[in-house]
Amino acid sequence: MNNEFYIGWMPKAPQGFARHVKRVLLTILPVVLLTGAMLAWLQKRFSTASFEFGKLTEVTGVYFKDPVPMLRVNAGNDIWGNTSYISIPLVGYGKHGANGIIREIEIEHKTSLDHKQVILKGTLLYTDGRTIMQVSSNEIASVKIVPGRTAETATVQKDLGFRKVKGEIIDPKCYFGVMKPGEGKVHRDCAIRCILGGIPPMMHVWNDKGESNYYILVSSTGIDINKAVQDYVAEPVELEARLVQYGDWTLMYVADMKNIRPISSLQLFRPASTIIACGTGCTQ
Amino acid sequence: MGVSYQAIGWNRQKKQYDWLIFGFCCIYLSTFILVTAIFNPEYTFETVLIRSTSTLALLILHVILCIGPLSRINRKFLSLLYNRRHLGVTMFVLAATHGIFSIIHFHALSNVNPLVSLFTSNVNYNSAGGFPFQALGFFALVIFFLMAITSHDFWLHNLSPKTWKTLHMFVYGAYFLVLMHVMLGAIQYERHPAFVLLIALGAAAVLTLHLVAGTREVKKDNSLFDPAVNGFVSVCDVNEIEDNRAKIFCVNSERIAVYRFGDTLYAIHNVCKHQGGPLGEGKIIDGCITCPWHGYQYLPNNGQSPPPFKERVSTYDVRIEGNRVWLNPSPFPEGSERPGTVISQPSN
Repeated sequence: MNNEFYIGWMPKAPQGFARHVKRVLLTILPVVLLTGAMLAWLQKRFSTASFEFGKLTEVTGVYFKDPVPMLRVNAGNDIWGNTSYISIPLVGYGKHGANGIIREIEIEHKTSLDHKQVILKGTLLYTDGRTIMQVSSNEIASVKIVPGRTAETATVQKDLGFRKVKGEIIDPKCYFGVMKPGEGKVHRDCAIRCILGGIPPMMHVWNDKGESNYYILVSSTGIDINKAVQDYVAEPVELEARLVQYGDWTLMYVADMKNIRPISSLQLFRPASTIIACGTGCTQ
Repeated sequence: MGVSYQAIGWNRQKKQYDWLIFGFCCIYLSTFILVTAIFNPEYTFETVLIRSTSTLALLILHVILCIGPLSRINRKFLSLLYNRRHLGVTMFVLAATHGIFSIIHFHALSNVNPLVSLFTSNVNYNSAGGFPFQALGFFALVIFFLMAITSHDFWLHNLSPKTWKTLHMFVYGAYFLVLMHVMLGAIQYERHPAFVLLIALGAAAVLTLHLVAGTREVKKDNSLFDPAVNGFVSVCDVNEIEDNRAKIFCVNSERIAVYRFGDTLYAIHNVCKHQGGPLGEGKIIDGCITCPWHGYQYLPNNGQSPPPFKERVSTYDVRIEGNRVWLNPSPFPEGSERPGTVISQPSN
């Protein structure tokens, strides 16, 4: 029997022990390191969404309180010479909607901002050709209301009828670049907290080419849609609702929570890419 | 073994051990971040920090859980066991970094307290797929925290070894919580089969090693002896016990170590008072039976730790007839002086 014996308080390990430990460490350490490298390599690809953290952009546009706080911004003329607009939904700082900060601005300026042309400074977030903007209380002082200028034309609306789509309810602030990932189970708590904080929920859907589209969820019955969707956030769902084209965004008017149905993630699996495919009736 | 408490009783081996852990953690974290940055350039630092610390903590937790059974299977792993608590504290620091940063990242700056948010945002407690996995990680972290702050011998003595050991056995509960935290969280998002495979391999390794080590113990414990004669049980041939070493016998459900020290045999209870280490797998050093786990020492003739230490274990009567060793499994009170039995003739 090998009579070697070693306790950690001894000054030196016997040769047999030392050799054995070296062998074990030389095996374990590279294995653990390679495992870590493999895990890092196999992670899902991060989205290309962008949050311009630390960069403020001044945007001029007409503020609309409903259906969700947003700025309608003049984007120049289209090829036919008509004025075109893009709408930028607004969100607040942290996990909050924009209503709080807009209220603060209105108190500061002693007037309602609704339908007025304003100049706001905020941080832009964008993905898939869509932009939203974060406004925070630090920028209240820089807000300007253009005197006498109100919305000259109403936002173009078009009823698209009832549709059934499959996708995931997201909080757009995180999904548009604040968090990566800003979707799925790992992000669920954060998404719920953002939506309960007033950030408008959106339905994210994909078509069979893997292209994304985003529908802003609003209530058609006056219920608190943010609270009502809590149990369905960040998981695959099928949703049937009336779609209304609202400028360059599409709204989904949810009449009844029974129209939201959890579905298997396999029904959304998109083999060629990071996620998912669109269900029947999906529109772009 | 020290008579007074120090934060850490540094020696050359501990310094090497800790530098190795520190260096390895730095290399691992750098590698993870670098690989992510190269293959996933759209990464955010918060996410890569959360992921690198969590994966490293999980890998270290597997190593920690494997060291115990490996040491039971092969004594040479004992050198890794001695400072295992340093590895445990390191794992806790990594897990805490992951946990605290995740709570801030996912729950701060909202309209409720982050800890309230942790338990009230996702309330699908009755769903397997939708279960709020973060709560599981939180409870695992609480266990690791309690283990980390009580990892010093000061707490072992003040809580009593039994309470301390019970508390630290919760590591298995924490491990289960961590596995569920990963399975119901990250695995629901990261769909590559390698993630599930690695988790399964890790759990299988931990389970297999524990089963192998446990089976060996049970096998030893179930050894059958002839009926006792005048209270003594014939246990082995005297030549089977090497000088300064012992053999362990489980008689009447009590594990007893029979030590040979020179030409005398002594019998003491096999369980060390420190952390329950197997005294019979130790060695006599400087005239003291030395526990293989952390080096606690006892005098073979009375089961007492040499002054000023106060640990005591039970002693037993042992005698030799012919070449047979006979052991009386009735214990004497802890620390009782027993003369042992002299091996009358050279036996090897």
